[in-house]
Amino acid sequence: MTVAGRVWRAVFVLVALNHVVSNAAENSFSKDVLPLLSDRCFQCHGPDEANREAGLRLDSPSIVGTPGQKHGIVVPGSLDASELWSRIVSDDPDTMMPPTGAHRAEWSDSELGTIREWILSGADWGRHWSFTPIARPKVSQSESDAIDWLINQRLRELGFRCNALADSRTRLRRLSFSLRGVGPTVQETEQLVPLIDAGGFSEVVDRFLEDSLHAERLAMWWLDAARYSDSDGYQQDLTRENWPWRDWVINAFRSNMRFDQFTREQFAGDLMKNATPEQILATCFHRNHMTNGEGGRDPEESRVDYVLDRTNTMGTVWLGLTLGCTQCHSHKFDPISQRDYYSLTAFFNSIDEDGKAGKNAKPYLSYQSPFVNDRINKTQLLVEECEKDKKRRLQVATQRFDGWLKEMEVTIGDNYTAWLNPKIESVISSEGTEFSFDDSAIVQTLGPTPQQDDYRIEFSLPAGLRRIAGWRIEVFPEPSHVNGMFTRDGNGDFILTNVKTLIRQSGNPNEVELENESAIADYEAKKDRQTKWDTRYSNIKETLNDDARDGWTTEGAESVTSHLGVYKLKQPYEIQEGDRLVVILKQRSTLGEANIGRFRISITSERGETLKRFDSVSPLTELSSLANAESSETPDELRERLFQQFLLDQKDYQQATRTLALAKSQLNSLKTQAKPRSVMVLKDREEPRQTHVLIRGVWDQKGDLVEQGFLTSIIGGAMTSPANRLDLANWLVSRENPLTARVTVNHLWRLMFGRGLVSTAEDFGLQGEQPTHPMLLDWLAAELMDTDWDLRHILRLIANSQAFQRSSVMTDELKEVDPDNRWLARGPRHRLDAWMLRDNALRVSGLLDESIGGPPVYPYQPPGVWSEITMGRFQYEPSLGAEQYRRTIYAFWRRSSAPTFLFDSAQRRVCEVDRGQTNTPLQALTLLNDETYLECSRVIADRLSIINDFDSAVQALAMIVLSREWKNAEIESIRAVYNSSREYYQRNPLEAQQYIDVGQQTQCKVDSAPEIAAWMTCVSLTLNLDEAISLE
Amino acid sequence: MNERGNRKRVDCLADCVKKMKQKEFKIASIRDRLARRAFLQGGSFGVGAIAANALLAEDPLRSAEHGVITKSQADGLYLPHFTPRAKRVIFLTQSGGPSQLELFDHKPNLIDLAGTKLPDSVRQGQRLTGMTKNQEQLILPPVAKFKRHGECGAMIGEWMPHLGKVADEICFVKSMVTDQINHAPAMTKFLTGHHLPGRPSMGCWASYGLGSVNRDLPDYVVLISKMKRPSDQPLYDHYWGSGFLPSEHQGVKLRNSRDPVLYLNDPDGFPRSLRREMLSGLASLNEQHHAQVQDPEITTRIQQYEMAFRMQASVPELTDLSDEPQSTFELYGPDSRRPGSYAANCILARRLAQRDVRFIQLFHPDWDHHSRLSSWCVSRCLDTDQASAALILDLKRHGLLDDTLVIWGGEFGRGVAGQGKWDDRNAGRDHHPRCFTIWMAGAGVRPGFSYGATDDFSYNVAENPVHVRDLHATAMNRLGVDHERFTYRFQGLDFRLSGVEPARVVKEILV
Repeated sequence: MTVAGRVWRAVFVLVALNHVVSNAAENSFSKDVLPLLSDRCFQCHGPDEANREAGLRLDSPSIVGTPGQKHGIVVPGSLDASELWSRIVSDDPDTMMPPTGAHRAEWSDSELGTIREWILSGADWGRHWSFTPIARPKVSQSESDAIDWLINQRLRELGFRCNALADSRTRLRRLSFSLRGVGPTVQETEQLVPLIDAGGFSEVVDRFLEDSLHAERLAMWWLDAARYSDSDGYQQDLTRENWPWRDWVINAFRSNMRFDQFTREQFAGDLMKNATPEQILATCFHRNHMTNGEGGRDPEESRVDYVLDRTNTMGTVWLGLTLGCTQCHSHKFDPISQRDYYSLTAFFNSIDEDGKAGKNAKPYLSYQSPFVNDRINKTQLLVEECEKDKKRRLQVATQRFDGWLKEMEVTIGDNYTAWLNPKIESVISSEGTEFSFDDSAIVQTLGPTPQQDDYRIEFSLPAGLRRIAGWRIEVFPEPSHVNGMFTRDGNGDFILTNVKTLIRQSGNPNEVELENESAIADYEAKKDRQTKWDTRYSNIKETLNDDARDGWTTEGAESVTSHLGVYKLKQPYEIQEGDRLVVILKQRSTLGEANIGRFRISITSERGETLKRFDSVSPLTELSSLANAESSETPDELRERLFQQFLLDQKDYQQATRTLALAKSQLNSLKTQAKPRSVMVLKDREEPRQTHVLIRGVWDQKGDLVEQGFLTSIIGGAMTSPANRLDLANWLVSRENPLTARVTVNHLWRLMFGRGLVSTAEDFGLQGEQPTHPMLLDWLAAELMDTDWDLRHILRLIANSQAFQRSSVMTDELKEVDPDNRWLARGPRHRLDAWMLRDNALRVSGLLDESIGGPPVYPYQPPGVWSEITMGRFQYEPSLGAEQYRRTIYAFWRRSSAPTFLFDSAQRRVCEVDRGQTNTPLQALTLLNDETYLECSRVIADRLSIINDFDSAVQALAMIVLSREWKNAEIESIRAVYNSSREYYQRNPLEAQQYIDVGQQTQCKVDSAPEIAAWMTCVSLTLNLDEAISLE
Repeated sequence: MNERGNRKRVDCLADCVKKMKQKEFKIASIRDRLARRAFLQGGSFGVGAIAANALLAEDPLRSAEHGVITKSQADGLYLPHFTPRAKRVIFLTQSGGPSQLELFDHKPNLIDLAGTKLPDSVRQGQRLTGMTKNQEQLILPPVAKFKRHGECGAMIGEWMPHLGKVADEICFVKSMVTDQINHAPAMTKFLTGHHLPGRPSMGCWASYGLGSVNRDLPDYVVLISKMKRPSDQPLYDHYWGSGFLPSEHQGVKLRNSRDPVLYLNDPDGFPRSLRREMLSGLASLNEQHHAQVQDPEITTRIQQYEMAFRMQASVPELTDLSDEPQSTFELYGPDSRRPGSYAANCILARRLAQRDVRFIQLFHPDWDHHSRLSSWCVSRCLDTDQASAALILDLKRHGLLDDTLVIWGGEFGRGVAGQGKWDDRNAGRDHHPRCFTIWMAGAGVRPGFSYGATDDFSYNVAENPVHVRDLHATAMNRLGVDHERFTYRFQGLDFRLSGVEPARVVKEILV
């Protein structure tokens, strides 16, 4: 058999297998016929009138003629008379449908059979399944068993054997992760497993549903759908302060607010009678879209974008409709016209907004959060701790200083200088300037005078110099220059636009770039001077960026003398043998003719004061000048200055200082956030805007005027005129609406099982997937409405079902017939969401701070992730103290750079309700090396390392992470890792110390480090087990 | 199991099924079977982890690389659809909108028109950005002088002297058109085919469709020039985002820092030997668990951890330039020694190409010269000119240019009217979507050629317009993909990179 033949044959087998499954369901118009018509025909013959070919519309019952008719599109009972049939079976390229080139799939025999049977049996018309009213299917069981009755009935039809219930511990873990997003603690396991053993599973369900952790879990679902973020998303991606809305959501779930009320408040809290501030706050849901303040943008264009975004989000989250498609044209598949769409947008079109972003994104609610004060108190304690620590470190440093000074007094000698002139090895121009230089290290330019130029100067470094802390440039006047000043052309003044400082190491092809932290000059041109240049050429600090439109000049200085610019490195560079210093002077000013003619560069190893003055004097040079003096006593004033300089190099002290500063800044930020914040909310303007159909969806191409209106083609429901957002919300949650309840229970199902009964949670339209269990979906939807939209009730029913509690072991039989578990013969098994992994690690290690609400926090991220994407605009500082260990829902979310420790998460740019799962090496790296997981490992390792025998410790580990004990074979696997790790760290205790020095954990003594390190490896391993990262 | 990841594969098979005129067929079920088949086929790497067709990479059917096209490929059942000319793409993205008027689109006649009003007949009501809509449109002639280069005689602005040296290797497209006038939407369109975020970037499509050749490195690697300037245009991560495609296809940023790939390095004090032992222990425990619960995803997970381990070696090996001869740095210029510079990233791009990474994308920010062309635009040319040209030469001397498609360009061009006072040297140019220039090289793109032309004002395309979607179609074509047949079903629609409006492969620039 050929290779191709094999594949074809394989497909044949698959189809044959599949046949067994599908025959069981009966043929129906909405389930079988309509999807085919939609997929093959509607793109050109569907609801979209603008792109309708031949004026023919096939999505309407009007295509069905009367029986006995001679000819028609569809004539019931007669294939010959039905044009539809003759077109789809035609081989003639001129008449066949769909035509070649339409990029629609060809008809299969079975599909043709379906159409054939439909026509012959009378061509009954019907509606798409999700548009039909929800009727509660009859089940012969009580409410509590209905889910299982409906699932098991299907399994029986299919002939599948279903798995038995999972053991109590597995059920506990599954329930805990599904309802709370974290696993059970050891204590919970010990308490609840016996309860479940004794038949108390439903008691545990109730307990978890009441838990605040559950409210946060649901809120995470809602925040993804709501595209919630702490930044604007576009342009500069400015920070916004809508987090009080996030807390509103959590509170709503805590109090089990009914979903209809939840909907009303978010759509129209502001329109309710005697609206509370919280009800107004709720409307922030519809302000979570991105905002764009880009300079060139028309604010009206942005405003229109926001209106459409709200409409589309409503479509996805409540209706499961892809309304976004209808922005530019009528829907290709679902019966939604472009006019219908713009009638919906009309509800959102009169918000009192003007399309601006940043701090101008009105309307705002001034809202004071009740969730900040506790945290201020906690952080206050942290600041006090840090202050104490700083004091301690200062004492240690002071003691060290005395010894250092004594030694300096003896060794410094009387010819010490702070600034040294390194030897020039080469000076290169990029545009052809020539140079001369000698031992004085002064460089004089010669030869051509290009308009702009870059000089690259390479130095070898003086022997004995330990480090470089800064460098300076002297710019000299010269009689031969223009006006005896600084340049050889132009008007004599120079402009330096950018500098770069690099180290060339021997044997390394890369140069190390040294970051200049700051720069000062003895003279900077005044910004208000008269000049033919741009006054952006003034200050030396502008030479630190890569922008040539600004820079340093001394233009306008009263007398012609040499000038000095001093650059301070962010970190002193420790010199290694063979290192060379490279300084690049870029002179790329707009007009040019301002290249420096004569200059000298010198370097210093001193920090602090030395880099702040222009006279070459430093505390150490003064000490040196005292070397021969009679009195051996260093004056107090000098002593103090030397001490200040000395302190700059005391790492522990500097670290403590920095930590204190960060803690204080964290505290200040909290104090600010405790005051009323401006939260973006909905509020209509007094004069409503007119709403138009936008031609091809373009913001300023206005078509017909439209009024507010519902999707009457899909959903009934009378509208009182004029209607407002509250009416819209009421329509969404009215009993006549067949979509909202179905879509919502599908979301809940997905939260519990990892996939919905409809696998396309975002699309319940004609092109979406059909439900695997339509009766179950409708039963749950009816139940939701009959219980006044009680989400908790539905979750309770699902959690208590046998289907949810079954073992997830994949038997050979199930692997064969249902690898994706569509028919639910086994329990769910899939990787946990990334945020659950983080939250769970924090919780089982005991680090988790369970406080609720408040301003966003900053979990660890690798350094630089914000600044590299924003070119330095935003810096990320991880939170200190307990703030670091809060749940992921409180993590700051910047749209241009989503939290790096999450994967497969919604991106929060536009509404997303169904993010697929992947399995990649980058995820493995995150779980292995992210600081949070390492710190959690360390904390657990601390606990294990003080347990005396290995066996008890390793079992404790299993209980903490897996809620079970290891089996013997497993113990041997982990023992091998433990032994290697311990052996290694006993040989290398300093590395052990380094390894376990993570996060905010205290350092430990060198002799206990190897044991902790050995355990840390084992904990990290355990946290990475598939079992640990999966719901199972 | 990732459902969406399987969909295209499913679509292929679905077609297959229909051709066979078999009986009952349900797309979802086939998907399931296929997933199972993947595991049965040996399960040596996970379905979730490997792009759709890479799964079939070891299938002898996929012999296009050997120049043999099987029946199935010809039917469009597998990717590539036809023999690819490019194994990989290097996309040199110049963010901000480089000025075609100063760099490529020589309009000497404008000197005589300096300061005159742009005729309404030319502007044709073209929308302006909020920055210049209230000022008169007065013509600013090119600030840079032009020079003729190479045998082809290409005219190139003096600020790009090095590019002139490779003029005979590259193909200019001077008639590019887009329909977005602001940065973020225009760049999003340029990279994903749609102006709103949410669609996959080109590199993601390539990764998804063609899969991986090098299993120790990501398929799609992104490099961003390190710059110090709080630019108004951040490089949003959706520029290399996977949109509705599975997130494994999103671009992986290769950073200039301790961790070139996020979380790549093990913690300080944790040696590689221990990582090896730890991962062996992890695998052993995972296997024991797999024996119990039988979930094939566990096998995949073990493989992913092993790949992570290999990546920890292959990435540092990639970024360590100590095996590069002196001549490399001379070719790319002195800035190439500065890690994170555009020039250094160009060297990395060549090294990634040598390692068969599918899609390599550089971003150089800050081309948004609204003012001061002779300092702003010049600076960006200095950052990029020598290295871009060097990359072409370097790919050529390594024998890589033939099967690497290089694209250089930004999201739009600049307008002919001066922004600010036209006769002030501080003048700049505003955004302009109606025409701009990009260049391409390699992979059978006609060398020493220039395609398309603009009117006398470099304002409208005068002949042979190439829309952004045509560029997408053409790039896909080089990869052996028919852009019309390469679709992904999402929200009931079959999405493709080139979008819904007609797009064409620009055959005229292909040899």
